[in-house]
Amino acid sequence: MATKKAINLKGIFYSAISLVWIFGLSAIGHISMVLIEKYNPAIKFDFGWGCAIVGILIIYMTRFVKSDSWQSFWGVLGGLGMWFAFEYSLMYGGDRMGVTYTFNGSYPEYRIMKWTFMLLLMVFTYLLFQESVRCNFIYYLRRKLRLMRGVVATGKISNYGPRTAFQYIMVTWTFYVLLMIGYDEQLFGPQSWFIYTLFFASFSVFFYLCYKLLSYDKFGANLKYAIPTVTILWNDVEILAKWGMLKEPWVHINWPIMSVIIAGFCVSTYLIVKDLRRKKAEMIESKDVV
Amino acid sequence: MKHWKVLPVVLMILFLAGSSQAEEKSSKETHAEKVKAMEDTFWAASKAGNTVKGIIVEGNSFFNGTTAPQDKPYTEEELLAAKISAERNSKLFILAEDGTLYYPTCKKGQSVSQSDQAHRIPRVLTEEQKKEGMFTWSNMVPLTGRKVELYGEIYTGYAGVKGIHIKSIYYEGEYLVGE
Repeated sequence: MATKKAINLKGIFYSAISLVWIFGLSAIGHISMVLIEKYNPAIKFDFGWGCAIVGILIIYMTRFVKSDSWQSFWGVLGGLGMWFAFEYSLMYGGDRMGVTYTFNGSYPEYRIMKWTFMLLLMVFTYLLFQESVRCNFIYYLRRKLRLMRGVVATGKISNYGPRTAFQYIMVTWTFYVLLMIGYDEQLFGPQSWFIYTLFFASFSVFFYLCYKLLSYDKFGANLKYAIPTVTILWNDVEILAKWGMLKEPWVHINWPIMSVIIAGFCVSTYLIVKDLRRKKAEMIESKDVV
Repeated sequence: MKHWKVLPVVLMILFLAGSSQAEEKSSKETHAEKVKAMEDTFWAASKAGNTVKGIIVEGNSFFNGTTAPQDKPYTEEELLAAKISAERNSKLFILAEDGTLYYPTCKKGQSVSQSDQAHRIPRVLTEEQKKEGMFTWSNMVPLTGRKVELYGEIYTGYAGVKGIHIKSIYYEGEYLVGE
């Protein structure tokens, strides 16, 4: 668990940049898939394999990174690469099996993903009982369900990269499964109490997580905790689109809006990289003094 | 290896650029040109009466006589059941205005194939529909029970049921009901 501090301007700056970066990354990820499908669908499965290889390589290379902030940065990208590969593998599976779209428009790959809910539950059960896992939400559940048998695991974590990648994958997977279960007309449906509750809960929890995020003033922790914060907000974006109240700019390729998102992503990337380099330089200087 | 961190990004960009270039070489026609050609072909065929106009019907309930969309439109209940069956892969057909039944199929000569209702079909849009930013493709399942106009290759088929390899589709309104 990262150390929390009182909210200050630095925390607000780091949180805002992290939120913009993660949101931009998700939007760019979506539009990349849409553009490939529209202009060059022949490459999509090769692209999926490329993402898997690059994702695994990035996660492997975090082994040589010392700074936890850089670890989080690369961990997010590694997780995104592997997640892309997962989606493309389901697309390929859907294509091979001739899975259709649903009548309310859900894509075949997400229909298949919905039925991984039992696998998700098994992984979640493992995380819940694995006492060295320090995820805030899982730790909260462990405390409330009285699952702790000893003291909380402490000590410095040195592999934030793979952990962040895994967090990205788990959070994205969980919310896709939840949304798809909710969209299923034979279970709940887009206009059901389930989706309304999910919409309301996501909206409220987003603000709570933003508040919590403000108390971290290092990119290492901020980027990591911005993942669930943005993904929870993304639920609302997806639900609004499903209700027909929002035309997602990354699905309908709205370049003016996408340009703003891409510009935000570029600026936030620049600020993150600049800050991480400055911190690295400071560390080297302080070592020289010692 | 001071800047090794940029390596994955460079790899990804090279990979994407290589793939798109390969595709570019194989087809000099841009996406916009393809769409334009598809639309022109469709409207010309529509004007000449070479398109199929009809409604998309669900095969199981149609062939076992549970529903009779040839006599009266689906009721709300029947339509929901037909859509659920369609997304469970019950085959969809096109019941044309002249009473002919069309079975959507792949291009003649293709040996290994799959159900056509798993595919996206390029959608022809009017200028008004384009302005509204409507979906540029459609899948048949959400269109179950709706009136459509199709352009494609027509095959003789068997016992009065014809085959159609759909190349483009036109219909009024949004792709998904409620949008």
